[in-house]
Amino acid sequence: MNGAVPTTIIVAGLALAGYALLMTALNRRMSVPLLAAVGVLEILLLVEVGIIVAKLASGERPAGLATLIGYLIAMPLVPVAAALWGLMERSRWGPAVIAVAGLVAAVLVVRLHQIWPVIHV
Amino acid sequence: MAPPEPTASHPDSTRTGPGRLLVAVYGLFALSASARAGVQITTKFSHAPVAYLLSAFAGVVYILATVTLAIGSPTARRIAVLSCSVELVGVLAVGTWSLADPATFPDATVWSSYGSGYGFVPLVLPVFGLLWLRRWSRRPRARGTTVTSAENAGEAAGGGVAHGEGIRKVQ
Repeated sequence: MNGAVPTTIIVAGLALAGYALLMTALNRRMSVPLLAAVGVLEILLLVEVGIIVAKLASGERPAGLATLIGYLIAMPLVPVAAALWGLMERSRWGPAVIAVAGLVAAVLVVRLHQIWPVIHV
Repeated sequence: MAPPEPTASHPDSTRTGPGRLLVAVYGLFALSASARAGVQITTKFSHAPVAYLLSAFAGVVYILATVTLAIGSPTARRIAVLSCSVELVGVLAVGTWSLADPATFPDATVWSSYGSGYGFVPLVLPVFGLLWLRRWSRRPRARGTTVTSAENAGEAAGGGVAHGEGIRKVQ
């Protein structure tokens, strides 16, 4: 894995998943600290998307452009969708949804860099 | 820190409680399988037509399961059981097929090698889906449980036929 931004996202995603799973195990519902952590992950993902869009704008192209664009659209939506869906839940299963979002964010960033390893920040 | 939640372990629909997590993961797979199939079919269909069509089929099954689990009406639950069953058969059949005949699958589907490319979640997901739906077919409505237990209590209190007649006379 290359670059500080993707590495930070992977660590943050896994940490969020661990935190959310702990909340599920402790039988807590959605909380403000958990939502704040989701917000941090969202900002990091938007930075990553921004860096890649800048690379595209400078004229560089990956082999699988369609897939890359799919990832660029899907990645920032994951934490938002998970937060909305999790907030509708009044039990421990709300944080469980957030745990999935954290894991998915980490996996998406790893796969994104298999498609196009461009970030060397 | 949020206060500990007194477990209200009576989800009132297939989309609440553990179902909230299930619908989220199903939604994820609905999106990823159909997006992947869409890209593959439009950009390089002739490369691996069987694999891409199976990906598209998997995408449709996941969409159906997500929507029906989220709706949760009796009819939707029946369609959900069907989707999860097709999914379980699909992942087992395609998993076996992809190992037995790798030439047909130059590119992977969601169900190749029993979903190993997706951490075997495609293999586990329909099992959890069917277990969750089975719980609902046993107990059609969450509030029905209270009524049923009240009836049971009444029957238990009623004891024999003689007691039942006694109560009727009093009324």
